[in-house]
Amino acid sequence: MGTTGIMVLVLFLFSGLMSLNYLASQIVSGLEAKVDVSVYFKNDASEEEITKVKSDLESLGTVKNVEYVSKDQALNEFKARHAGDTLVQDSLAELDENPLQASLNVKAGDSSQYASIVTFLEGNKFRSLVDKINFYENEQVIKRVQAIAGGLQNWGFLVTMALALVAVLVTFNTVRLTIYSQKQEIEIMRLVGGSNWHIKAPYLVEGGLYGALAAGIVSVVFYPVVSFVSPKVEALMPGVSLISYFVSNIFQFVPLIFFIGILLGVTSSFVAIRRFLKI
Amino acid sequence: MPVNPKQIKMIQFKDVSTIYDNDESVEILNGVNLEIKDGEFISIIGPAGAGKSTLLRLLTREISPFKGEIVLDGVNLAKIPAKAVPLLRRKIGTVYQDFKLLSAKTAFENVAFAMEVCGADRGEIEIDVPKILGIVGLGDKLKSFPHQLSGGEKQRLAIARALIHRPRIILADEPTGNLDLVNSYDVVKLLMKINELGTTVILATHNREVVNAIGKRVISIEKGKIVRDQIENGKYVI
Repeated sequence: MGTTGIMVLVLFLFSGLMSLNYLASQIVSGLEAKVDVSVYFKNDASEEEITKVKSDLESLGTVKNVEYVSKDQALNEFKARHAGDTLVQDSLAELDENPLQASLNVKAGDSSQYASIVTFLEGNKFRSLVDKINFYENEQVIKRVQAIAGGLQNWGFLVTMALALVAVLVTFNTVRLTIYSQKQEIEIMRLVGGSNWHIKAPYLVEGGLYGALAAGIVSVVFYPVVSFVSPKVEALMPGVSLISYFVSNIFQFVPLIFFIGILLGVTSSFVAIRRFLKI
Repeated sequence: MPVNPKQIKMIQFKDVSTIYDNDESVEILNGVNLEIKDGEFISIIGPAGAGKSTLLRLLTREISPFKGEIVLDGVNLAKIPAKAVPLLRRKIGTVYQDFKLLSAKTAFENVAFAMEVCGADRGEIEIDVPKILGIVGLGDKLKSFPHQLSGGEKQRLAIARALIHRPRIILADEPTGNLDLVNSYDVVKLLMKINELGTTVILATHNREVVNAIGKRVISIEKGKIVRDQIENGKYVI
């Protein structure tokens, strides 16, 4: 019971780590999808000059797409966003000219390429046209999410490894007790010339069964737990569904859990046999 | 000219020494030289702690000599790889004073167990086990558990189990130690019958009456050394 219990804990933690990994990857890819470099141009930059910058950017292999937002378009979008805000609308009406700047929204093929795009824009060629480049804030958020997720994964991995070691020791001890309680049978098997396999196999199977039983319990219990947690996660991160992730990966998840459980059990038995079963 | 099987040196101990628990200062056997021919019946006698059981355990490779070598059928036992040791043990049947029977198994199951762990199939077991139990006089006790058998019957059951692989050698370590005189004679008669059928029997005992009744080769061991080897009609002399 204790042996299976500790294995269940290990496999449960491992499954939790897989969920965490999935969530972290979803958060990061969600943020990455939102990331772009917004280049704001000075008011005296002409549309021809901005179009030239746009085509120069598009010629870079690292750029996926460039969207031009003119001053008028920016103003219209701003007005639409704040349609219900009379204070904003009144303030805009008071102004003589459009206060917003024309901009280019640049999307890179890969988030790691934004830095080189920014360097390109900061070059002498465009310095007189560009007012500001908005990128670094998003980069910080991504780095922070990645750091938190990485830290959680590292600690989770360490805790899982520590518990796996405890599980191996507990199973090792259980198999050792079984070997001790069957001392007479083992002695007789040795004396009558029982093959190594016939003598050792039952203990390897015993260890493997503990692992398989634990994996079975985790496979059954983990699904309701995920069903319970999934809507809460989805409320925080729309579009991220833990339950559909597990349902779509069930044929990878269940065999993996069984493989790890059986491997832990058989390894523990193997060590116990080597230590206590002399043939 | 045909070879006389009695002249074949089946078991040879060549200057064999064993030590206790890796401590070279405590020798159990000390420079033992011995030749046992195929089909012999040998009684090994000596006081407790003389090294009789150690001699038998060397033959099944439960322990290995510290010095010297043991040759069985021309093969040095030390050269047998670990995974082939079970095959060696199937050539050697063993019988002990404490019977070493499984109390939760019937007489049939105790013997069948020895076949099962060596990979015998069910059909073979169903044929061989009743036959061997019949040979040792337990044909009507197939379903009896060890606690339902007398001491002599338990030992005959242990002998049946030892015989199930048709071994070339039977090692009997104090097989009469837990038996009264009548049962002791029964067991020894059974061992002699097995020997007459061609199996080498090595009996370690300190039962004077039994050894004197057998009247075969007697080897005396004291403090790990062979002190006397009476080839013919040996008597219990220490």
